[in-house]
Formats: sequence, C-alpha cells, structure tokens
Amino acid sequence: MLQYDIVIVGAGGGGLYAALETSKKKGLKVAVISKVFPTRSHTGAAQGGINAALGNVAPDSPEKHSYDTVKGSDFLADQDAVELMCETAPKIIREMEHMGLPFSRLEDGRIAQRPFGGASFPRTCYAADKTGHVMLQTLYEQCLKNNVTFLDEWFALSLVHNGERIAGIVAVDLKTGEVHGIRAKAVILATGGHARIYWKRTSNALGNTGDGPAMALRAGIPLKDMEFVQFHPTGLRRTGILVTEGARGEGGYLINNKGERFMKRYAPEKMELAPRDLVSRAIETEILEGRGFKDDEGNEFVYLDLRHLGRKKMLERLPQIRELAIDFEGVDPIEEPIPVRPTAHYSMGGIDTDIYGRTRIKGLYAVGECACVSVHGANRLGGNSLLDIVVFGKIAGEDAANYVSEVSFIPFEESRVRDEEERIESLFSGDGTERLADLRNELSDVMTYGAGIFREEKKMRETLEKVREIKERAKRLKIEDTERVFNTNLQQTLEFLNMVEVAETIVLGAIERKESRGAHFRLDYPKRDDENFLKHSIIEKGEDGDLRISWKPVKITKFQPEERKY
Amino acid sequence: MEKREVTFRIFRFNPKRDEKPCYRDYKLPVPKGMTILEALQFIKDNLDPTLSFRAFCRSAICGSCAVKINGFPKLACKTQVLNEVEKFGTDILTVEPIDNFPVIRDLIVDWEPAIEKLREVYPYLIPDPEVVPHTLEEESRVYPGELKKFDIFTDCILCTSCYSACTAVKIDEEYGGPFQLARSYRFAVDPRDALKKERAKVGLAFNMWNCVRCEKCADVCPKHIAPVDGIMKLRGLSIEIGKRDNPGARHVMAFYKSLLESGMLNEVLLPLRTKGIKGIIENLPLGVMMILKGKAHSPIVKPIDEHETLVGVMKAAMEVE
Repeated sequence: MLQYDIVIVGAGGGGLYAALETSKKKGLKVAVISKVFPTRSHTGAAQGGINAALGNVAPDSPEKHSYDTVKGSDFLADQDAVELMCETAPKIIREMEHMGLPFSRLEDGRIAQRPFGGASFPRTCYAADKTGHVMLQTLYEQCLKNNVTFLDEWFALSLVHNGERIAGIVAVDLKTGEVHGIRAKAVILATGGHARIYWKRTSNALGNTGDGPAMALRAGIPLKDMEFVQFHPTGLRRTGILVTEGARGEGGYLINNKGERFMKRYAPEKMELAPRDLVSRAIETEILEGRGFKDDEGNEFVYLDLRHLGRKKMLERLPQIRELAIDFEGVDPIEEPIPVRPTAHYSMGGIDTDIYGRTRIKGLYAVGECACVSVHGANRLGGNSLLDIVVFGKIAGEDAANYVSEVSFIPFEESRVRDEEERIESLFSGDGTERLADLRNELSDVMTYGAGIFREEKKMRETLEKVREIKERAKRLKIEDTERVFNTNLQQTLEFLNMVEVAETIVLGAIERKESRGAHFRLDYPKRDDENFLKHSIIEKGEDGDLRISWKPVKITKFQPEERKY
Repeated sequence: MEKREVTFRIFRFNPKRDEKPCYRDYKLPVPKGMTILEALQFIKDNLDPTLSFRAFCRSAICGSCAVKINGFPKLACKTQVLNEVEKFGTDILTVEPIDNFPVIRDLIVDWEPAIEKLREVYPYLIPDPEVVPHTLEEESRVYPGELKKFDIFTDCILCTSCYSACTAVKIDEEYGGPFQLARSYRFAVDPRDALKKERAKVGLAFNMWNCVRCEKCADVCPKHIAPVDGIMKLRGLSIEIGKRDNPGARHVMAFYKSLLESGMLNEVLLPLRTKGIKGIIENLPLGVMMILKGKAHSPIVKPIDEHETLVGVMKAAMEVE
C-alpha cells in the first residue's frame, strides 16, 4: 500500500497552495493526487481576478473588504472566517507576486486593481482576463521547484477513517485502471465545485462533479449550506461558458429587447455591478417577462454590450473574452453585443469545516469550493473564490503539516480497497437498461426546473422525488467499455454517481430553507427571514443511508445583519 | 435547423491489447456551432462509449484536448466542425492523437516526456533579492513595459501542441522543446528573476540552437504565442552574455558580420565563420560543385549602395531591442 504523511486530493489553487505550504516542512512525505494533470484544474478558468484590500488604486482596508463580503453573502458567512480571509488577502497576494505571478500593473509598477460586483472599491487584482490561469501556472511552477510529488490522473474513490481519525483514501490510477489504498495521517480535499450537476447550462469544467462532497457524504461527514448554488449572470447563450465579471467591471452594459439598460430597475446605484445573484435574477426576470431575445434553437438571452469600450481597451483588458465570443458564439464583441444568459457557476455549499479547514474527522481537511468554511454564505462575490482557495489552502496545509508531525498512522483496513474494487466491478455488470447521457441530462433538467434560479415548494418536492428516482435508475447503468486502461466511460459514470448524491443534498437543503437569501430565492418565501434562518444547514447521511438535516448558528462578529441593498 | 452529415475517421489504439492502430468511422449530423469536442462527446454518448479522449474546461484554457484534425494539432474544444469541413473541402475529418508522444489509448497521449523536459529547465522564478521584497508588506515593482516583454509567454496552457509539431523535437532527443524554452525566456526577462540572462545557458544545455525556425510552433499554438520568438530571443541573450563559441552563435555572428561588411550575405565565408576549418572541409564537395556550376560568388563582396544607411538601421534596431 502507498503511504504518505499527507495526501492532497485535487491540484487546483487550493490543493497546490496546501502542497506548497507542506513542502516547507522538511522530511514530510506528501503527495498530490488529481484526476487531471495539475494545470488542467478549473482554477485556470477563473478570468477576472482576486480581491485584496491593497489600496493601490483607491484607499481600502481589510475591514471594508470583510463588510462587502459579509453583505454580499447576505449575512450568512461566518464573520471570523471572512475577517481571517480578508486580513490575509494582501499578504497572500504579495506572496504570490513574489513567486512570479504576472499581475497586471499600474504605471508606477504596483499591482493594478479593477472594480468588481458587490465591492465598494476597485479591489480586484488581475492578470488581464487570465488571472486563474497564471495563478495555477505559478503555483505549479513553485511546486516543481519544491519537488512536490504528483500522482497525475488518479481519481479518488473513497475516504477511509475509524470514526475519529482519518486513515487514508482509496483511489484508482486511471492510466492502468488499478485501485489502490493510500495510507495517510492527513488528507486534504481540494476537489472543487459541483455545478456540473446542471450539466446542460453551466460554466464549469466537465469534471466539476462534486467528488469531494460525495465522498464525504458517503463517509458520514456533514455538508453545509448545500442549497446555495450561484448562477453567474453572463454565460454564453449556447454553452454556458463564462464571460467574466471583468467584462462588466470594465464597463459593459446589459441590454434587453427594448434596448434598455434594465439593471436600473433592479440596482439603480450599482447597475451592472450589483452582486451576481441579483443580476442573474434580473436577467431571468427580463426573459420571463418577455423582454429577452430568442434564437433559432430556442435559446433565450439578453445582450452584454461591450462595444462602447472600444477596440483598444478590449484588446488590452479582455482579449480572451473576445476570442471566446468569436470561437464559441461567432460574435466579435468589438462589433456586436454578446448573447448571454445566467449559467450554473459556483457552489457556495460544501464540506463543513472550521477556519483551519478541519472537518469532523481528525486529520481530514477540506478547502476551496468543495468546502464550506463559510466565507461566501448565501452568495459569493466575484474575485473572492481565488482568494478563498489560496488562503484556506495555505492555512490547511500549515495546520496539517503540524498535525502529522505529532501523530502516527492508524490501521487502514485492506478490505476498504476491495470494497471499491467491488463497487467498480458491479458497474461493469449492470443490466444496462439506462444510459449515462440520458440520466445526466435528466438530472440537469430536473435540477434547473426545481433547484435553479427561482424555487418554490411544489417544484422542489417534485425535483427531490425525481432525483431519488434517477439515483435508483442509476443502479441499472452499465459501463460498456471493458478495458482497464484509461477508461473514461468508467470515470464519467463514477462522476455522475457523485453528482446525483450531491444533487439530493442541494434540493433537500433548498426545501428546508423557507426563506430567500442570496442565491437561494424562493417565490413562496421571497423575504430573508433572520429570525428563523440566520443559520447554516447541515446535511449528513445517517447509518440507515437517509439524509438528515440539522442547523448550526452563524458566527457574527462586527457586522449586524441589515437589509442588502445595492 | 440545418445539419450536415460529417464522417469522423478516428484513430483507435490500445497498445496493451492491439497490435497496431486502426481507424473507425462515425457518421453524425452536425449542426452549426458544434465543436470537435462536442462531436467526440456525442460519439461517446450515443455511438461508442469506448472512444477515449481527454477534455475538461471546454473553453480553451485547460489544454487537455489537443488532437490532430486532418493532420493539424488543434484544441478540440475551440474548433468548429463545420469550419474544418469548409476549410478542407471534405465531409470526412480524420481525428488522431498529436505527434511526438507515446499513445496511451486512442486520442490520449502520454505527456510525461514533455513535462519531464519542462521540469528540467528551471521553470519557476528564482527571486532576485535586490528586486523582490523580503517582507509580505510590499510588492515588487514591475513596470507595464517590463511585463510586456514576457506577458504573452505566460499565456501557455501546456497543451503540448507546439511540442507535437516541433521539427527539432522529432530529430533531437535532447532538444528542450518549444514551450519549455519559451518559459525559460519568460523568466530570463522577468525583472524579478535572479538568473536573468544567465538562463540562456539553460537554453544552450537543451540545444536551443537546434531550433530550425520552421515556426510550426507559432502556427499551431491555440493561444497565439510564438514559442519560436522566445527561443530566438533566448539565443540573443546567450550571445549577449558571451556564449558565442558554438556553431549557432557563430552562424548568427557571421550573418551579422557579413551585413556590416557589405550588406550582402557572404555565403563563401559562412561555413568557415560558423564551423571553422571543419566547416570548410564539410562543405568542400558542395562548394566545388557550386564553383563548377558557376553558383559560387567571390569571397570578396562589394558593399551594396547605401551600405552606410543599412548599418545605421541595424545599429538603431539593436538599440531598440
């Protein structure tokens, strides 16, 4: 059996920062396993930037950053975690700058900052519109420098623990198809988000399938605030591929079929730069009330108009966006407006952790989008996700490194490897009366219907039934590809099974939260209800396999809940 | 909506089981807007679940899905099927794994040899203590003009398309590779880096002079980077730091000298100046043939008209660089 002091699952910004932190401690044996080659991770797709109160463009402070984040979260974020993140932000930005990250610069050579939705000041540091990409590359470079061990294209299957402490994980090496136990004193999950559940309309990569939360759920570890899924206002009409908030940060307009900048009705002050949940609902409302556009394929949308920015600014600040629009929509934003519609984008909920990334099981950590600290509460602000992953990746890496030097390995039952082998074997011998592509599309449709931007009791109940039905039918899936070598049919099936499990927790949380807050908007309860719901939902799997929901108070330090107006 | 029948002729191979690769045809109706990646996923979902390929972000930033379409490396996710059909004037598109890599299965290749080379070229900032602050209270100053020198090279997504198309990689196992050498250059001109121009030595160690400037790397790069430009500039840095005692540098210096002398390339003296006496001997048979056919010019070349103006232009260009 393979053995490491620390195993990190996932090689995006969170996983790599944790790896870097652990590599500072001499003598530790650490491995990063990732189902994709590290620089393929979805961190690379983050375009717009990363928030930090550097005050390079306008006077700013971590406290103001904290306030904006808490307000953006609709007061559901834990304020101790938010303060920690915002105070660490300027330091960690500089740390990455010192690693060589090519931030865009002001004339005086300091890091440039741009305005972003929900922020009071230009606070978002950026590298043109490729911020996540260069961050991922820089962190990977530093990992190479520090000789971090990578197990590339390994897919994690399950967590092994004794009810108190972590013993390791079971994973499959995709290149050979062999299942391995990996013993570890600490495991850091950094597996990313799960918005791929909304398969047909999402900005996410094909692999953002909630593998971490699904493994945690199966291992009896609680998930938090799963009902909150952010729909980014500006996905491309056909594919849901993202057009960064930076496009609105640079001054883009949203236009309906009357030629109006309709945001004036929803956020007269902030206009297009209101927070994402609000802008997404505004766009959907325009479409539902007949003020959108419709194309030949039946896609409905509004326009994101960047033409007034002019060619020079477009080429300088948003070159990737221009190319995306040309390649995927056939539209050059210098000449024409871009057709957009909200797209499932970010998972605020995730594995319940404290501010060190610790979970209920000692030695098991979770960071980034697969985790819920929570710093984003009911709605994440643009530019805060890249910040979240590096801050808490660093903190968890440091904490785990200290933890493993004080404890020894615990027994790892070999039978747990055989369990996973059998689970995979059974997938090869299903009766095959269900097809993966069909179930995936059905899950997407039913989640969009009942757990999308607008929600209500009846539709959510139907959706919950339907998700459970899909979960049952998934037992009849059969992996048609019988080869062991790089079996992507097996991988996609396992990912789908993870998604169905996670989907159920989203709907359950959404039904139980009888209020509207941030990204969770209920037509039957359109108001925020602090008296009854200023609390985190906690969902876990009981011994009987059924999901149970409980609640946990929100930590409030400086900022008392107030109405969220923009 | 109108759809067009397109046949995808796809390379299939599992080295663990098959003796040799084969091609299998899949015919499907293609609507406007469908990418090669969507077509591959359609085939996997509906026609053949065993078809194996990599894909992740779908938006040309992760670098997973480089494949060869009718012989040219492309990212499957950002390539429109109907554009290719139009361009090649055929309804049959051949899809194959990219070159210069061992195949793991079907369209999936083993990147490891290229990544191993990346690891060897010190692909990370080694901070210059004079420039990079010692505390996290401050950032280094990098002026927009300085950033501009290397910014384009930070766009690289490691899709390895350039490596797959590289002529030098094909013939020289020791060659560093286009994206790897371009990354060396990226750090060489980063004001925060401690090695700076010294990084050109890494280029020398990895045979950067073996780049034949075919510029295929520039043609195939989905992010519009020209790794070859980085390699040329890295060569320039090697000359600047005095690493002139090699055939590549001498060849370039011979061109330079020729132009300074006369404004014309002195081909007769080129072998001598590049490789010394060895060069003369190596090129002797060719030289004799050229003399016999009347193709060789005299070793003494008369300066062109307005030679002084040319020299002025050359010196001005050097200053700008």
